[in-house]
Amino acid sequence: MIRAGAAALALASLVVLAAGGAAAAPPAAPLAVVATSRDLQALVEAVGGGRVVVDSLASPQQDPHAIEIKPAQLALLRSAALLVRVGLDHEPWLGRALATLGPAAPGGTRDLDLSRTVALLQTETPRLRAEAAPHAHGFGNPHYWLDPENARAMTAAIAAALGRLAPTARDEFDARRRHFLERLDAGLLRWRAALTPYHGARVVTLHDTWTYFAARFGLTIAATVEPTPGVPPSPAALGALVTRMRTAGVRVLIAEPFADPSLVHAVAARSGARAVILVPSVGGEPGAEDYLALFDLNVARLAAALEAAR
Amino acid sequence: MIELLALPFLACLLLTGIHAYLGLHVLARGVIFVDLALAQVAALGITVALLAGHPPASAAAYWYALAFAIGGGLLLALTRVRRAPIPQEAIIGVVYAVSASLTVLVVDRAPQGGERIKQLLVGSILTVTGGEVITLALLYGAVGAAHWLVRRPMLALSFGGRDLGGPRVLAWDALFYASFAVVVTSSVRVAGVLLVFAFLVVPAAMAALLVRGLTRRLLLGWLTGAAVSAAGLVASYRWDLPTGAAIVSAFGGALALTAAALGGRASARAVRARGPGALRPGAAALAALVGLAGLLLILVPAMDHLWLDAVEHTAPVVQEAFLTPGERAVRRDALQAVARGETQLAELRALQQDVQWGTRTLDAERQERLRQFLAGRGELTAGDRLVLRTLRGKARERQRYWLGVPLLALGAGGALVLARRPR
Repeated sequence: MIRAGAAALALASLVVLAAGGAAAAPPAAPLAVVATSRDLQALVEAVGGGRVVVDSLASPQQDPHAIEIKPAQLALLRSAALLVRVGLDHEPWLGRALATLGPAAPGGTRDLDLSRTVALLQTETPRLRAEAAPHAHGFGNPHYWLDPENARAMTAAIAAALGRLAPTARDEFDARRRHFLERLDAGLLRWRAALTPYHGARVVTLHDTWTYFAARFGLTIAATVEPTPGVPPSPAALGALVTRMRTAGVRVLIAEPFADPSLVHAVAARSGARAVILVPSVGGEPGAEDYLALFDLNVARLAAALEAAR
Repeated sequence: MIELLALPFLACLLLTGIHAYLGLHVLARGVIFVDLALAQVAALGITVALLAGHPPASAAAYWYALAFAIGGGLLLALTRVRRAPIPQEAIIGVVYAVSASLTVLVVDRAPQGGERIKQLLVGSILTVTGGEVITLALLYGAVGAAHWLVRRPMLALSFGGRDLGGPRVLAWDALFYASFAVVVTSSVRVAGVLLVFAFLVVPAAMAALLVRGLTRRLLLGWLTGAAVSAAGLVASYRWDLPTGAAIVSAFGGALALTAAALGGRASARAVRARGPGALRPGAAALAALVGLAGLLLILVPAMDHLWLDAVEHTAPVVQEAFLTPGERAVRRDALQAVARGETQLAELRALQQDVQWGTRTLDAERQERLRQFLAGRGELTAGDRLVLRTLRGKARERQRYWLGVPLLALGAGGALVLARRPR
């Protein structure tokens, strides 16, 4: 049994090797996949390898909520064998683009909504949060790719979708996914080891981006500075926040690269907290070129900030 | 409160100082939107700086913005031609729209996306730093002094009077727009486009409505600018509002109040001169509005009748009179349940926050139970609200004719009688 498994693994890696060498690869054209973000692009590439050509509609520095789609991207969408999206209300512009394409748009099994594969957080609807601050996310927090454990389910869905489109390469996709998960497991060991000393540490984030990340690595997000992105906090809210940060001894403030620097500076200076810039998307900074590197970078930065804040 | 609002208030004073003065010029020249156009050109400059690899908050980006804005200002000076076939406002509008679109085109290619540009346009008056306030003070002081030195040709050019020769007009206009560009580029970085526009136009407009003479207008503009921005800052603190938007709204409210007071004074004068008949047109318009409200209530009882909601809020009897005794009891129960639910939710949310901040501790299981209870309690309260809304809908169906028809008759009849020409 074990022997058979090992043989299958060897075979699979042979297939992978074969796919790597262009000459030996079967002449099938690679699948054209369109992902809505660079994070999903990275995951599809990790599973699909040379069998897929992946384009991302949003660049990692853009606000994924406000994208003006371009003609060339419409053409990409029309010719795509598979569309992979974050789902929820993360891509409000996508519906119009698909409606424009009509029947040519990728739909049905060609439209993969990864939010259906993971357990979502903050799913209370805005109606129930009426008394609390308004919230941009109506159907649950969409930043679920920032929990590396979620990559298991996401890559499983991606491998299944790719396998349906190219049944002959199904084993190859599975093998690549296994390889990716091995690297992910090694990464998780590294990241957990780096953050375990700070288990239960309280942090304040600028936006609601880090909910999944914090839940995975045992951090408590005490508050969010800008609950509605783009609407700065009122002086009373800012004053109360800074006071609570002081009294509760919250010493780390997490912000994104595109956060308002003057707001970050003001909160950090008044509360005595240390601001750390974490990258929410693959490719957002030079050090975060793939999915695993994204977490390597963020975990290293966060651990350094938490250590310095002790 | 003081330590949070002191620096923003200082910044507001500085902004009032220079913008009330420039606003008088802008109003006299009739180039109201020049400020928005130049701010957008400055934003285009920052975007180009991004493309060249400079972060948006850097000094290099500032110089780019300044160069672009001065260029835009010179362009506007060039296009101010006497007896031109098109008004200058058209060119200002084109400059605004084209530079905004160019910004979109460039941002699409720039490595750090449009977020920062948006932030620069929105501004962050609340988080202004001491260094920024000092820089603004020095810069505005220098611009103000320069304007004081060349006040004669500047004032002559904006406020008419003496006619200067052709090339000299161009030179002074160029100087005016260049100084304007310097001010706008710097103030937009701190306060954002909307707030700067309010500082520029509203104090000058209010002063122009109230007094004559440049010096008096300037003094009144400074006074109102300082007072209204202080009111906006306090309101922003008191009612938990985003600061920049609150100050802009305070300026809008102050201007509306001034206009209403002037209108009231004019009507009072008219009544003294011509008797109560002078109020006829206003009363006719009011009656027509009442009739329209009644008509809408008859035609679409299910739409939002905000005026009726407000009336029912202050005098619940207006709704209860249209409910059966049983429905009234249900309504009272639901109101009590909503009030109870809201106090309980507020208490539990405070507890949840305390747990998040670590000032109180709950074990993981009880935290999860608290979260689920909060969600459930919120759902129940939402249900009670739904009951209230349903009852309101029932009342509306009955108010439709009993309230709508009299209102329509009263309003339409009143409007007709009042609109008839008095003999």
